[in-house]
Order: sequence, then structure tokens, then C-alpha cells
Amino acid sequence: MFRRKRKSEDFGAEIEAHLALEIERLQREQGLTQEEARAAAHRAFGNVTRAQERFYEAGRWMWWEHFWQDLRFGGRLLRKSPGFTIVAILTLALGIGANTAIFTLVDGIVLRPLPYPDSERIVHFGWMDKTLIPNLSIPEFEFLRDHAKSFSALGGFQGYGTRQLNDRGRKRWITAADVTDGFFETMGVNMQVGRPFERAFTRPGGAYGAVLADSLWRSAFGADPNIVGRQIILDGQSYTVTGVLPPGFTYLAPADAYASLHTDKNPGNGGLNTDVMGRFRRGVSLAEAQAEARLLGAEFFAQAPVEERQGAGVLHLDRYREYLASDYRTNLLILLSAVGLLLLIACANVASLLLARATARQKEISIRLALGAGRGRLLEQFLAEGLLLGGIGAAAGLATAGASLRVFVAAIPWDLPSMDRFGLDGRVLLFTSLVAIVASVAFGLASFFQTRKVDLNSTLKEGRSAAEPGRGGARLLNALVAGEVAISLVLALGAGLLVESLYNLYQQDLGFNPAHLMVMQTPFAANASGAGIWNFEREALARIQAIPGVQSVAIVSVAPLHGRMNLPAQRDGHPEDSIGGTELRTISSNYFSTMEIPFLRGRGFEQSDIGASAPVAIINETLARDWWPGQNPIGDHVVLGEYQGRQYIQIPQAAREIIGIVADTKGMLLDRPAPPMIYLPMSEGSFTFNGSTDWVVRAGAPAGIAPALRKAIADVAPEQRILDLQPMRQLVSGSVAQPNFEALLVSTFGSLALILTLVGVYGVFSFQVAQRRHEIGMRVALGASPRQIWRLIIGKAAALAAAGVLMGLLAALGLTRLMKSLLFGVQPADLATLAPLVILVMVVALLAAYVPARRAMKVDPMVALRHE
Amino acid sequence: MSTQEQNEKLELLQGTLDLLILRTLIFGPQHGQGIARAIQQTSEQELLVEHGALYPALQRLEERGWISAKWGTSSNNRKARFYSLTAGGRKQLVRETTKWNRLSQAIARILGNEPAEG
Repeated sequence: MFRRKRKSEDFGAEIEAHLALEIERLQREQGLTQEEARAAAHRAFGNVTRAQERFYEAGRWMWWEHFWQDLRFGGRLLRKSPGFTIVAILTLALGIGANTAIFTLVDGIVLRPLPYPDSERIVHFGWMDKTLIPNLSIPEFEFLRDHAKSFSALGGFQGYGTRQLNDRGRKRWITAADVTDGFFETMGVNMQVGRPFERAFTRPGGAYGAVLADSLWRSAFGADPNIVGRQIILDGQSYTVTGVLPPGFTYLAPADAYASLHTDKNPGNGGLNTDVMGRFRRGVSLAEAQAEARLLGAEFFAQAPVEERQGAGVLHLDRYREYLASDYRTNLLILLSAVGLLLLIACANVASLLLARATARQKEISIRLALGAGRGRLLEQFLAEGLLLGGIGAAAGLATAGASLRVFVAAIPWDLPSMDRFGLDGRVLLFTSLVAIVASVAFGLASFFQTRKVDLNSTLKEGRSAAEPGRGGARLLNALVAGEVAISLVLALGAGLLVESLYNLYQQDLGFNPAHLMVMQTPFAANASGAGIWNFEREALARIQAIPGVQSVAIVSVAPLHGRMNLPAQRDGHPEDSIGGTELRTISSNYFSTMEIPFLRGRGFEQSDIGASAPVAIINETLARDWWPGQNPIGDHVVLGEYQGRQYIQIPQAAREIIGIVADTKGMLLDRPAPPMIYLPMSEGSFTFNGSTDWVVRAGAPAGIAPALRKAIADVAPEQRILDLQPMRQLVSGSVAQPNFEALLVSTFGSLALILTLVGVYGVFSFQVAQRRHEIGMRVALGASPRQIWRLIIGKAAALAAAGVLMGLLAALGLTRLMKSLLFGVQPADLATLAPLVILVMVVALLAAYVPARRAMKVDPMVALRHE
Repeated sequence: MSTQEQNEKLELLQGTLDLLILRTLIFGPQHGQGIARAIQQTSEQELLVEHGALYPALQRLEERGWISAKWGTSSNNRKARFYSLTAGGRKQLVRETTKWNRLSQAIARILGNEPAEG
């Protein structure tokens, strides 16, 4: 395909050869002298320099010169019509900017490898039941670690927590994670000082080890190179420092230290609470690793004692990157499609503007064709114009992207290891440029093919036909209008469904009254005794109750929407009525009245039940319905820690008598039905394994009492930390952060799409009315009323919009189905959502055609007809 | 401005000259001077081809892939650039010839039916 360009010396040599041959021939055939022959040959050849010039013109250099000329010409044209230029560039900036920002997110979350060496060999384990249960128990982890052969390392992680670091009397709060040995080897990170802690530090009853993050090592220990072996105190427990991580290492979120996790038999270790990762060996395929994991999962089930059989089904593994991305993949793909559709509209808009202009320029183009401009040369010019527009649009888009990316990242409700790496880098720039180039070439081609069919003669001869868009052009413009309407309908529908889901979420019955409610959390110190915690809580409750403005205060192990806390439980004497993870809440006596949770039956806890470890329980409606359908549970018993007749926790629990039934409240998630729940009276011997207590305070002006709450706690326990102090309403909003984010983004795109469509349709119709002035004048002269003219234009707009709506509906039926997992309480093809949006889009399209139609009504036939 | 004039002429000449060059090359490879000679001789000197216009035309045909070129030695032992038809060139020749025939028939019909009015 690519021939080497001929050099002009070669061309010169050819001309020389021609002249020599001709001279020889003239001498031989006509007997001329050398001189006469030379003169004759030159005469026949014509101007040698001119031939060479033409050769040069055809060359590449000339192409560049033309291109530069075209760019300048395009620039002049753009300056000449600033309205068109500004609308086109803003449109492109919007489309390209939003696309770049979203692509940056997708690139950072889904496409890029994780920031760990050879990260594609890191896998994440989970139990595959009907859905993936993404965590394992410690016994399962240990079994895997001791038997798996495909992996060079396996490690577990149990979450982050704030702890007090006490280093030789200097105290500070740090974020620490609990991990097993093998965690750092699995992540493939090498310590900059020392080494990861060994297995000995995870043995029950043994010493604890810790690895420090670079930042803590520098800020708290002055980057001491002899840190290894030093004892540090975290929440009163001594840890031996074994190593320091390199700067920049992050797991899910930044942590200051990683503490060794003792693999003892505490309930937290027994439940499915550990993130287990493995690094498979070189030479082992993912499928082989998966096969071995499946086998080991089955083997574990066959040999493990019943109480350790937590995971159900099949042990499953995913590449860690894919596991992380899986939660966001659908969301990001939907955002990417939404923003892609927006770009399509932006392109259609600019294309229709350019097309309309090209049609108006037909006369100019005919003249240039008549003057001998090659069609290739015209194509070059249109491409150069498109590139110029695309280039400026891309530059403006990049600026838009930078700004909108900051907004998006701030709004993202997810924790990701690569969060801080989002930046507009070379790859994103490349993507933007690609979008710009593809778009501009498309515009160039579209407007070129519009002029391609220009009939030289008729255009020049009858001035009138120059002013009428070619049939092909008109058809293309119509298609663009209908297409824009279709796409904005799809976007509007997507946005409508998400907004409705969000609305439904907000309408969810929480089961309590969130108004005038303040919440906070007090984590326990690791070495705190049950009695210490209980004393602190009792005293603090009294002090808070005494704060002016506080109506009532209660404590609960985990407030609604604030976390999970569960244990196996069974209806006493009925192994068939067992739930592996019954939600458990220990509460103070006035919890239900403070939260305004209605009582359905029986009585609440008396002050005498609280603190006395009385064997009583209150259950929620769901549990009552599950285990006692049509019966009265009051007086019957439940056993905690028992599951299908087997004891599961270390300290056997007495059967508890059910004394009351309360209405359901939400558990951890707003979009899930209320889980079965058992309430126990808070006491010295309460279950404290979730590590903290939540406080709920009802007050007239909840936000205003925050300082008083802090002071009350500090008065009782000066070192007690307070977390998540916020109004309940805020906690509720926080739990819809993700649907909020999606709805916000997609509605923004949807609104932008509608605005762009409004501008685009307005542009096309204004142009067409201007072009049809002559025809409209003729109609008026022949007796058409302004009303009929108006109907002519609006009728056309309505027909195009209807065609667009039809296409949009068909596309939406397919596309919104992909959103199903994001929807709550609304079906993809929900008529109640569809109908208003269809009307909205129609109205927007007709509104856009309204002003041009009014203009058409006012066409003065005399002026219009004389004009030509 | 002068460029525009040249282009205009070229546009007018282009189609015809291209056709004549392709037609000449059907008898085998030929150099530029030979093509010019052949066109003059076969048209019985009716067509005057400016030799200088021939080379840009050859260059254009070559770029379109209708002819290919190679330096060689002429019958009287001079170095010259020889052109030959490619497969694409052959097809183009057929297309152009058909078009030309239809055009000239059409023109002939018009001129036959509508004698010059003066």
C-alpha cells in the first residue's frame, strides 16, 4: 500500500531522459542539428519548471502546506460564526470531558493491575453458595494454608481498627489492621527494614508481632533503623516490631500498622470474618489453583467438626483484581455507557451543526469545484476543520475532565486500593485524543459526503437549489435529530429508574424514627474487662441523660445501618429452626422507647433484667414469623450459639425465655428486608465481641448536643474514643451513598443530554426554516395560513421526535435490563416511569422546534420571494 | 491565482489524457517520451500533447496504482523510466473507455439532432 515517495531528483532525471531521447529522435528522423533538436524538444515539452512544480505540489510537503492552509481557513470560518463555534466547542468539551473523567475511573478501578508485584497471581477466596460469601473462617484459612500446594503464600486479613499506640509514654491514635502471617508474602511486598512477622506471632497464647507503615515509622519513631525487635504498646498489649513496610503500600485503605492476628477460638475467628488471599506459584494456572481449592474445600467439610463448618458449598477463588472490581463493574459499565451515549449526542449535535453549515456553504463549494478544486482537496479541508474543532473541543474537554474527576472521586462511595492513583495521565490523554480524532474525522466525513453530491451545474444555474439542502443531507439531518431524541430518552429513562430506586430506598420503613436522633460509637480498649465496660456505660448513660435537652439515651451493641453482629441461634428443642447468622443486639432497657420501635407483644426489659444477665430475650417480628408461624412465641425459648442441635460457641448459653416481640428494624443494609433479630439485656457479661457500643440519643436539636456528649464521655473516661458521632439521618443517607452517586451521575448525564438535544434540534430546525424561506413564502403567497405553516414545521418535529422516541424505547428496553442489579423496587420496563419521561423528551423536542416554527409563521412572502 | 488556472486546465485535460496514456500502455511497457510519441502518431498528429503535462499525469496514475514504473534502458541504450499497466489500470481503462464511448455517443446524438444554431 505504501509506496516510497518519489524524490524530485528522480523526477528531474526522468525529464532529462525524456529530453535526451527526444533530441536524439529529432536528429535521427528529421535531420535537425543538435541545437535545433534541443530547441524543438524543449518547445514540445513546454515549461520544465512548471512540470516540476506540479510534481512538487502532488508531494507530501504540499499536503502539509495545504493542511496548514486549511487549518487557518477553518480557524477564520470558526471566528466568523462565534455562536456556532461556542456551542460546538462547549458541546464537545462536555462530551469529551465527562468521558475522560469516567474512563479515568474505569481505568483505575477495572483495567489497571493492582499496585502489587505480579498482582495477577493474587487470588481471593470465598464460599460459593447461591452467591459468593467473600470471607472464610480462621479454621478454614488454616486448613487451606496447611494443605494447599498451588500457592507460595496465603494470608488472612480481619479489618481495620483505631488503637492507641503507647510508645514509652507518648500516646497517639493510629489505624491498625489485623493480619495473619503470610499476608505480606501474598501481597508480594518486601519490607524496607526487617521482615514480616512469622507464624509464631499468630499462635494462640503467644507473643504479638507488628509491621509498621513507612509513615508511622518516620513520624513516631524518627525512621529508627534499629526498630526491629522494639516493643510497642497497642491498646495496652505489647507487640514486637518485626519490620517496616516500604512507602506507598496500601491494602484496602491506608493503615499505620499491621498487627499479628492470633488464630484462637474467639467467635470472630470462628465466623466468616476473614479476607483470605493467596498467591499461586509460577507455573500453576488459575484453573489448577481453583481446582485444588475446590478439592480442599470439600475435604475441609468432610473432616472438620460440625461447629467449624461455616462455609457452605464450594470453595471459590477469583483473581484479586477481579474480585475487587466485581462490585463496581456493573456500576462503572453503566456509567461508561451513559457517558458514551452523552458523547454520541454531543457528536450528533456538532455533526448536525456542521452539516447544516455545509449545506449553507453549498454554493461556495460549487464555485470552488468549478474553479478546479479537486474533491480530495475539499475532503482535506473538511477534515482539517473537523480536526480543528475536535482539537479545541478536546483541550476544553480535558480541562472539564480534570474538574469533574475531582468531583466524581470525592463522591465515590467505595474504598479501593488504587483510589489515590486516579489522575489524568498519558493513557487518559490518549483516550481523549482518540475520541476527539474519531469524532472530528466523523464530522469531517459527514459534512464532506453532504457536499459530495453537489451537482455543479444545477447549483450554480438555479441559485435557489443552492439554498435547499440536498435530499441526502436533509435525510441525514433528520436521522440525527431522531437519533438525538432516541439517545436522550435512553439516558433519561436510565436516570429515571435510578432516581426512582433512590426514592424507594428513602421511603423504606426503617422501623424506627430517625428524626431528632444522634448516634455515636465507643470502641472498647483491647484490654478492657466486661466489668470495666459495663461500669463506664452505666455512668456515661447517667451523665448523658442529665444533659439539658436530652429526652432519652440508650445503648445498643450495633445501631441499625451501622454494622452486623451475629451468632448462630436455635429455637430451643427445635433443631430445624436454626439460623447460622441471627442478628444479635444487646441493649439498655429504654432502647426501644428511645428509637421509637413499636412493641407488638409482651413486655420490654425491666431495669432488673439489665445488668443481671437474666435469661430473657426479645425477638423481632421476622424471627417470630419464621420460627413460630401462627403461634405465640412468648414464654418459649431460644438458645444462642446452638445450630441444628450442636453447640457452636465456647461458653454454652442457657436457653432464654422470650418476653416480648418488637417491630422489625433494618439491619446493616437499607435495601434488604429486616433480618431475624434477637435482643438481649445489656449486662456485665454481654457479648462484646463486636468491639464497641453504639449510643442513641434522642434530643430536640440532636446536632447541637454533640459537644455535650463528648464532654460527658470524657468526664467518665478521659481516654475513651468516640467514633461516628452524627445525626441518625446522616447515617441513613450514608447507607444510600452508592445509589445516590449513581443516580446523581446518571441524572446529570441525562439532563445534559436533554439540554444538548434541545440545542441540537433547535439548531437543525432554525437552519431548515431559514433554508425554506423561499418555499414558505411561496406557500403563504398561495394562501397558506400562518397556522398551517406552523403546523408544517411542528408536525415535522413531532414526527421526528416520535420516531426517536420509538427507537429510544426499543433501545432502552434492552439497555435498562443491564441495570437490574442497581434498581430497587422498580422494574426496568416500568410504565409509570416510562410515560412521563417519554412526554418530557417529546416536549423538549417540540420546544426546540417551537421558536423556529414561530419564525416560519412570520415569513413575509414578498421579502422571501424577492430575496432570490 | 496561477495555481488555480493550472488546476482548471488540468481538470479539463485530466480525464482524456489519463485515458490516452492507459490505452497506449496496453501494448506493453513504455517510457514517457515513447508514450508522447505514440499518442501523437496514433492520433495522426491531431492531438497535440504538451510533453510537460504528461509527467504529472503519469505521476498521478502511478500514485493511484493504475500504472507502475521502473528505471530501465531504452532501445538506443539510454536510461529511461518505463511505465506498465497494472491489473487495476486495466480495469480502469475498461471503465474509462466505456464511459468515454457513452459520452461521445451522447454528444454525437445531441449534435446530430440539434444542428448548430449559429
